[in-house]
Amino acid sequence: MLQSVTCLGCGCGCDDLTVRVRDGRIAELSPPCPVARQWFGDGSVPREIRTDGQSTTVEQAVEAAAALLSGAEHPVVIIAPDLTTRAQCIAIAVADALRAEVDGTTSDSAAAGMLVAQRRGRAAASLGEIKNRADMVLFWAVDPRERYPRYLERYAAAESATHVRSRRFVSVSVGDDRGPEPAELAAQFAPGEEVDALAIIQATLRGRRPGELPPRLQPAVAIAERLLQGKYIAVVHDAEALGAGRDPQRVEGLLALTQLLNGPTRAALSSLRAGGNRSGAEAALTWQTGYPMRVSFREGHPHYHAGRAGLERLGSDGADALLVAGSVAPLDHPALALGRIPAVVIGPRASAMAGARVAIDTGVAGIHEAGTGYRMDEVPLPLTSLLEHPRGAAATLGLLLSVLRRRAEAKPG
Amino acid sequence: MSAKTRLRIVGGALHDPANGVDGEERDVCIEDGRVVASLPDGAPTLDARGMVVMPGGVDIHAHFASSSCNHARRLIPEEHAADPASPPRLLDGESRSGSGGTVPSTFTTGYRYAGLGYTTAFDAAVAPLLARHSHAELDDTPCVDAGIFALMGNDEYLLRQIERGERERARDYAAWLLGAAGAYAVKIVNPGGIEAWKAGQRNVTGLDDEVSGRKVTPRAILEALTDAANQLGLPHPVHIHCNNLGVVGNAATTLASMETLAGRRAHFTHLQFHCYGGEPGKGWASAAAKVIEYVNAHPEVSVDVGQVMFGPAMTITADAPVEYLLHQSSGRRWTNIDIELESGCGIVPLTYKEKTAVSALQWVVGLELFLLSQDPWRVVLSTDHPNGGSFLSYPALIQLLMDRAVRDDRLKQVNQRFLAGSALADGLAREYTLNEIAIVTRAGPARLLGLQAKGQLGVGADADVTIYSRDPDIARMFSTPRYVVKGGTLIVEEGQLRRAPAGRRLRLAPGYDDAVVRDLRKHFEAYSSVSFDNYPVRDLRDAPLVIGRTA
Ligand code: SF4
Ligand SMILES: [Zn+2]
Repeated sequence: MLQSVTCLGCGCGCDDLTVRVRDGRIAELSPPCPVARQWFGDGSVPREIRTDGQSTTVEQAVEAAAALLSGAEHPVVIIAPDLTTRAQCIAIAVADALRAEVDGTTSDSAAAGMLVAQRRGRAAASLGEIKNRADMVLFWAVDPRERYPRYLERYAAAESATHVRSRRFVSVSVGDDRGPEPAELAAQFAPGEEVDALAIIQATLRGRRPGELPPRLQPAVAIAERLLQGKYIAVVHDAEALGAGRDPQRVEGLLALTQLLNGPTRAALSSLRAGGNRSGAEAALTWQTGYPMRVSFREGHPHYHAGRAGLERLGSDGADALLVAGSVAPLDHPALALGRIPAVVIGPRASAMAGARVAIDTGVAGIHEAGTGYRMDEVPLPLTSLLEHPRGAAATLGLLLSVLRRRAEAKPG
Repeated sequence: MSAKTRLRIVGGALHDPANGVDGEERDVCIEDGRVVASLPDGAPTLDARGMVVMPGGVDIHAHFASSSCNHARRLIPEEHAADPASPPRLLDGESRSGSGGTVPSTFTTGYRYAGLGYTTAFDAAVAPLLARHSHAELDDTPCVDAGIFALMGNDEYLLRQIERGERERARDYAAWLLGAAGAYAVKIVNPGGIEAWKAGQRNVTGLDDEVSGRKVTPRAILEALTDAANQLGLPHPVHIHCNNLGVVGNAATTLASMETLAGRRAHFTHLQFHCYGGEPGKGWASAAAKVIEYVNAHPEVSVDVGQVMFGPAMTITADAPVEYLLHQSSGRRWTNIDIELESGCGIVPLTYKEKTAVSALQWVVGLELFLLSQDPWRVVLSTDHPNGGSFLSYPALIQLLMDRAVRDDRLKQVNQRFLAGSALADGLAREYTLNEIAIVTRAGPARLLGLQAKGQLGVGADADVTIYSRDPDIARMFSTPRYVVKGGTLIVEEGQLRRAPAGRRLRLAPGYDDAVVRDLRKHFEAYSSVSFDNYPVRDLRDAPLVIGRTA
């Protein structure tokens, strides 16, 4: 039985799980969390090594991978979230050595939020601060219980806290994206109205009385007034929201609102992020290159291509080789079938990805491979190895890196 | 033969103030990473005739490897785009590209420190919760032996112990926390002020304010942690960023803090930001003379200056209420991250302009501290990188200290509004000697950090050596060392970085009474979002240093 196990099932990064292992399989998880159960499964993953569909040794597969990647003009490296941060760092080093484009799997929605935060900064907090201080929580178009099952219990509605005894909830729904119930104040805006509503809240906080408002926007004034009653306000939104109704300006409004609340009172934006170590990839890219995502090394140094995700580049720009470090679900999509671009996949379930020229299965971060993973609030946590796997992603990517270096040194000039 | 094993640096003018050598021609013999008394004939030599030889630089206070720095990096994509860093042409080993600006990427940071002849550096503000992140960044910061200071003084557990008068428990906690974070020193930032900011009290304003309605004051926090560090026999005493940073008239708070701790070893950091006279609404003035007079007279006090240099900077501090005000006054990008149970983080990019009255005053205050100090061993050169300017501006700062003509010229160009009555404006003739520069950039900080094998080149010292070509342009001389040796490896040759070995991690693991662990576990279970077992950083590079013995 293993205790204090960290879960990367969603960005909550709960590190209080107890896991029972029996016969090399995960037999029990507690507390029970449906998303965690999905993340861990029984822990069994494939252990194959293939080049062009044939089983081979890791040395040969890595040589083949290095040949394929170093022969390319415009390689692309994708860093998946099911890796430890150290493995992600090595994948970035590979991209640097190859002068490749590199990206994590930051969703379009999260990337939009990142770009706004780069432009204006942000007011945020570690999750424990929300647990300990937030006496007022504004949920903006999200009920965390669906995709972030323990977010309320552990953080925004936690029972034990240093500074708050009771909490007040304000719940905003936008279109079909419902806020949680019950709440002390609930409001509903249509998708086309939410940005206006956010602007009205800000204007009210600034002490400007908006003129005559259409009835559907009037709750925005009440929300502003209610928020001002809080000593420490957590503004909770889903940074991964994908719904058709989501207004791309939403995140700008939420960032601005949260910054503005710091003045009359205190506030932090809590951006819910999906599972895996995606914040780790963004952190590592930032410290190694200066940019959190969408970096190109083509010119021999990092260059920021903030506008477009690495995955989108595969279809254009003449990408002629691909390294996937970890497993990336969209690559299983027929439109992105790996067969079109020669691909190397090193990571969990690599051999299950159709069309990869080189596939090396490794363990999963926090299930088979120990290391560090980042929570949605960018707090790094230790990941344990619960089960054996013959290969770690960090070690295998490290092998690839050393073969690439050797080849580069052997090259004249 | 590997570049590491043996090297005789021949004929240079050695500045090794810790060993009483002031520019005399001496050979430095190196074997297996250490300085030795002699080498057999035929050992490889490095011709340093006509050059200046010093121990490697030691940065006692900078911000370059932390979660806060990473947030700051995100705020300046334009700076990174304007200063791309290609991989250096190394003779062997990994060479990485990166980006520069005021907060460079990690590899670039290591390369640039090495290129400046600095071989040891400390990140001075790490929230222990995020220490794991700092160590990961340090793993990617080559060329420098490095460590972190652990932020304390606004932590819930500590405040509770102080409130209850549990001073020994507070000391055990500090000891445990240093080990858990893999840290080297205790850092206090705005004692009580960050907790006040997070609790909606805005800030504390003096040493006897209550902190968010508790029976705890900044004064009590200062005393408890200063005593803890001294009783634990830490190699570096408590490292203090005082209350009221950047506030007009704050010299009174700074002096009061020093007086409170009179007779106790303590280091006051980026003193420049804490030496302002004047009154709110009536304008600013320099109070550097008064504060440095106190420092001069009190051998138990040491400081680093935190000089402001004109140009772009990035303010990164745990002192979040200060950054809020800076954002309000500058209107620039602002990141604030509250860090549970421990600390805060505020970030605002900033440009110091010589035509801006306050910037000009800050520049003058820093220089006055340097020029009026009587004991260079206790007044360290720093810019609080990147808060007062990048570490890349150290050579320009050294020039200001060594070359009065350059300094006086510059002084004429700055805004004079708040300079009336300042010592520098009245004329300070002092020029630092090379030996004094060697003290304030290496020998002094190494001694204050208790790093006995650093900052000096006696037998047994770490073979970290910087060799400069003489140049009448002091800034140019110090910005491009001709050779740098790190741990016996020649890393810079003819001004080019040729090798980039990993540095050592400098950290401590002091002992404590186990009772604190049981109590902390309960505290974590109730209030932390991280399990107690997962909190301490594990599997770090290099064992902790043994307290009380040579590194
Ligand atoms: S809430 Fe998320 S991190 Fe926590 S146990 Fe469930 S899936 Fe794992
Ligand atoms: Zn600092």
